[in-house]
Amino acid sequence: MNLIDRYVAEVGKNLPLLNGREDIEKELKSTLEDMLEDRAQSSGRKRDEALEIEVLKEYGSPQKVAATYNPHPYLIGPKMFPLYLFVLKIVLTVVVSVMLVLAGVQAVTDTPFMGADFVKIIGQGLGSALSAAIAAFGNVTLVFVILERVLPEKEIGGFNDEKDWDPASLAKEPDPDSVSRTELIFEIVFTFVALAILNVYPQWLGMFFFTENEQVFIPMFTEMFFQFVPWINVVLVSEILLDIYLLRNAIWSRLTRLGKVVIEAASLTLTVLIVRTPGIIAFSAESLANGPFPPEQAEVFVTIATYMFPIIMAIVIIIQSVELVKAVYRLFKMRSETK
Amino acid sequence: MANTESLENVVLELRRGVIVLAALSQLGLPEYGYSLLKKLADLGLDVDQGTLYPLLRRLETQGLLESVWKLEEARPRRYYVISAEGKKLLPKMKKEWAGIVSVMDKMLS
Repeated sequence: MNLIDRYVAEVGKNLPLLNGREDIEKELKSTLEDMLEDRAQSSGRKRDEALEIEVLKEYGSPQKVAATYNPHPYLIGPKMFPLYLFVLKIVLTVVVSVMLVLAGVQAVTDTPFMGADFVKIIGQGLGSALSAAIAAFGNVTLVFVILERVLPEKEIGGFNDEKDWDPASLAKEPDPDSVSRTELIFEIVFTFVALAILNVYPQWLGMFFFTENEQVFIPMFTEMFFQFVPWINVVLVSEILLDIYLLRNAIWSRLTRLGKVVIEAASLTLTVLIVRTPGIIAFSAESLANGPFPPEQAEVFVTIATYMFPIIMAIVIIIQSVELVKAVYRLFKMRSETK
Repeated sequence: MANTESLENVVLELRRGVIVLAALSQLGLPEYGYSLLKKLADLGLDVDQGTLYPLLRRLETQGLLESVWKLEEARPRRYYVISAEGKKLLPKMKKEWAGIVSVMDKMLS
């Protein structure tokens, strides 16, 4: 195999996987032979390896030559890139948030506050959030790299579809009835996490205390609370179904606004019922006072148990009330506008 | 240094823009890659080989050129010639080019 053949074979190896590789190699060889012949004639030199080296150097490295035949110099092309960034932002935000929330929940429920284990779990949580983010980044990129190569050119249009773009859309004010996709995706993910904790990991709803030779778990709620779980499930599942429906339709309708009002009213009613049910909290001053930790620590927890739960529940009720008022206001505003 | 580089880039872009028209205009009769390169260079347009050969293949894929392998001087050569579709397009491209030249002349004079 002479130098020219080796060069042509090396270019062939670096060509993208497409039909016509052999044809390109054949044409390249023919061109190089023409160049050599021309160079030998015009310079009066004989065709030898030195002349071949000169011509090949001038032609460029095999990688560079192969790259000129590559119809896809991009991993993800400029047409697909905005959509790629859009999806990547959503996926990374959701993945990192879920991992951090899970780590936070685990740190709070499995360890005494601010102990060495607490810091360790938070550290591990940050580590897993980072590796999950890297994995998500890799997977999303891989999917788009494949789409870039599999989808026909017309389908890649995505965000840059000039023909479908209507400048009149710029003049309109933001539509109060359009839905925020990011918000909905967040809501679905967190509602799903809440469903999973309530039904699959109810043991997370409490606190683990570690002493030198034993591990004590004090649940946050009594059995009374778990009687409400089926009703909480109904509300949470309805919320997810409504969000998925909105995600598909991209716009609020009177029916979905009414659905939102019903769901907000149901969740507020449930919260009030839970708060008003006596003996629902297992995480009480008494249970903590009998816990396996030093008296001064117990005192802190007793204070937390006595004051924190009502405060937290009051905040939840206020937030839910505001959400209900907002949902009712939007429903009626929509009705008056359509009259 | 930076100025020379910018100038080189601009010149390269300008040339790249005219290569399609130049190649189509010179392929009324069949030419193989290297002969077309020499022909363009003789007429004063130096084109990089890495630009011209892939471009010829692309124009063939787009239906503006046709090609055929011929065995000559004991080696095969691929000859390109303008296709019927290319012939239809060429006058329109020439008209566009004349328009650009006239506009640029007005701007630069």
